[in-house]
Amino acid sequence: MAAPLISFDRVWKTYGEGEARVHALAGVDLAIPRGEFVAIMGPSGSGKSTSMNIIGCLDTPTAGTYSFMGVDAGRLDRNRRAQLRNLYVGFVFQGYNLLPRTTAAENVELPLIYRGAPAAERQRLAMQALAEVGLQGREHHTPAELSGGQQQRVAIARAIVTRPTLVVADEPTGNLDTARSHEIMELLTRLNQELGLTIVMVTHEADIAAYAQRTIRFLDGHVASDSKTLEAA
Amino acid sequence: MIWETVRLALRSVRRNALRSFLTLLGIVIGVAAVIAMLTIGSGTTAKVKEDISKLGSNLLVVRAGRPAGRGPDQVVRPLEQKDLTALTEHLTGARAISPAAQKQVRVIYGTESITAGVTGTDSAFLIARDWTLASGRAFSDSEVRSGTGVCLIGETVRQQFFGAGDPEGEIIRVNRSSCKVIGLLAPKGYTGFGQDQDNVVMMPLAAFQRRVAGNRDIDNIYVAADDATPTSELLTRVEDILRDARKTPVDRESDFDIRDMTQIADTMASATTTMTGMLGAVAGVSLLVGGIGIMNIMLVSVTERTREIGIRLAIGAHEKHILIQFLVEATVLSLLGGIIGIALGLSLAGIASLTLSIPFAPSLAVVMLAVGFSALIGMVFGFFPALRGARLDPIDALRHE
Repeated sequence: MAAPLISFDRVWKTYGEGEARVHALAGVDLAIPRGEFVAIMGPSGSGKSTSMNIIGCLDTPTAGTYSFMGVDAGRLDRNRRAQLRNLYVGFVFQGYNLLPRTTAAENVELPLIYRGAPAAERQRLAMQALAEVGLQGREHHTPAELSGGQQQRVAIARAIVTRPTLVVADEPTGNLDTARSHEIMELLTRLNQELGLTIVMVTHEADIAAYAQRTIRFLDGHVASDSKTLEAA
Repeated sequence: MIWETVRLALRSVRRNALRSFLTLLGIVIGVAAVIAMLTIGSGTTAKVKEDISKLGSNLLVVRAGRPAGRGPDQVVRPLEQKDLTALTEHLTGARAISPAAQKQVRVIYGTESITAGVTGTDSAFLIARDWTLASGRAFSDSEVRSGTGVCLIGETVRQQFFGAGDPEGEIIRVNRSSCKVIGLLAPKGYTGFGQDQDNVVMMPLAAFQRRVAGNRDIDNIYVAADDATPTSELLTRVEDILRDARKTPVDRESDFDIRDMTQIADTMASATTTMTGMLGAVAGVSLLVGGIGIMNIMLVSVTERTREIGIRLAIGAHEKHILIQFLVEATVLSLLGGIIGIALGLSLAGIASLTLSIPFAPSLAVVMLAVGFSALIGMVFGFFPALRGARLDPIDALRHE
């Protein structure tokens, strides 16, 4: 079996000093193969956000090894990790995090700018990504002119426009109503299947987690349970 | 990439139009003040030089009395005819030597009456003081010797008495004695101190002494150096000859004063240049204040856009991308202020040159310097806020509300 895309080897993450020391992650071992759709659950303070930040190469472990695509990502400096994120990771956030007063197409182009892609290619890829998430005709709307569900689609288009290996989604349906939530989940599922995209998603809701093939539950900095979702199994 | 960043910066400046404008104002005022000061200053320097050169070039002016600022004046022994004679006989290196006595007196023609500066002198005066004749002729030697009642008049006097007409051969009355106009002086205009140099009447010295002054005094002797003789060297020679003629003991100071107009011109020009520099420096301080305004607003901008920075960092921006983005924004802001400031400063200098009647002397170097300096201010004062933005932790930045 090939090396997993994501692998935690006794990962610790510690905040604070002395008495105020908190172990957000306490020696976590974890492996996620390429192409898997994983839901991460757990109460707040359980370490799920911290592990998601490490998976997305936004953060580094205090101790232990985090390897991403076989690279020891925890040892890379800020700018190397930024490059890694730019090339291989897409982000979807609960609050969409689109640039205000900037059109959908320009928002989607953003990661390509930092890749140094020429303007014409950026526009072509952005249009294509927006079409993939079902937003044809809305390319020149600003976030304020789009509904929450549409904004999240723009954010997903931005995450996939670089054809990343991994998409990290932090409660992607947290701000949406049930109908919209299921639409977004269907979109993510389709992208997982069609593009072979690895998706790591943090969520509170069991019915949202049910879209994933595997659910990892965190508790007090440890993996409490790790199971294949029933439908997927 | 850089064009992209400039566009982004311009958009951000436009979005907060009022705030950007108020921030710009500091730079606008600073640059405008510097430009206006330096432009008006160099105009003034040019004007001062021009004014003094109007008095005559390479000119020494001898007057009776101790040099200014060297102890109290004792009884002043006026300059006399024999001093002039000594100079004309012994001085070498002079292009012209001319005596002059002056008085403001009433001049009458028909029913018209004005007050004019009347000068008693000889024909060398025109050479020494760089006067030229618009029409007519200068005094003849015999007229000077005998003190005939003839005179030359300035343009202002002509206009008062004769309008545009030809004054030659007309008889005017100077201090109740009559005098025939034989020539018209070419106009010289006003001095920088607002004195009309054309409101003058010139007559032979002997005639002036007899009919106007009522004494035989000479107020000034003008000595113009020839092209081969430096004025400083000529000054020494004049002093030696006059001390000798006036029998001044070796241990006594001269009881006359010689002014080197070239030196005065240089001194005044350098004084105005120094003044200009100082005013420019004061104006420069306001530029600094403008720079602090830029820093302030950039800090606000970075704080406001923390989340945006977080997004950009998360999707792969390097520190340098964020740094450049905010640096360019600060530079665009201050450069914009600089350009508006240059336009404003030059307009102010233009208005000043019209109202103060000094030459409008804009300098490309000063303008380029202002552009460069305002861009530099943007970069320097934008750097700290930009660095602060670039160093943000993406996770914290994304969490920022």
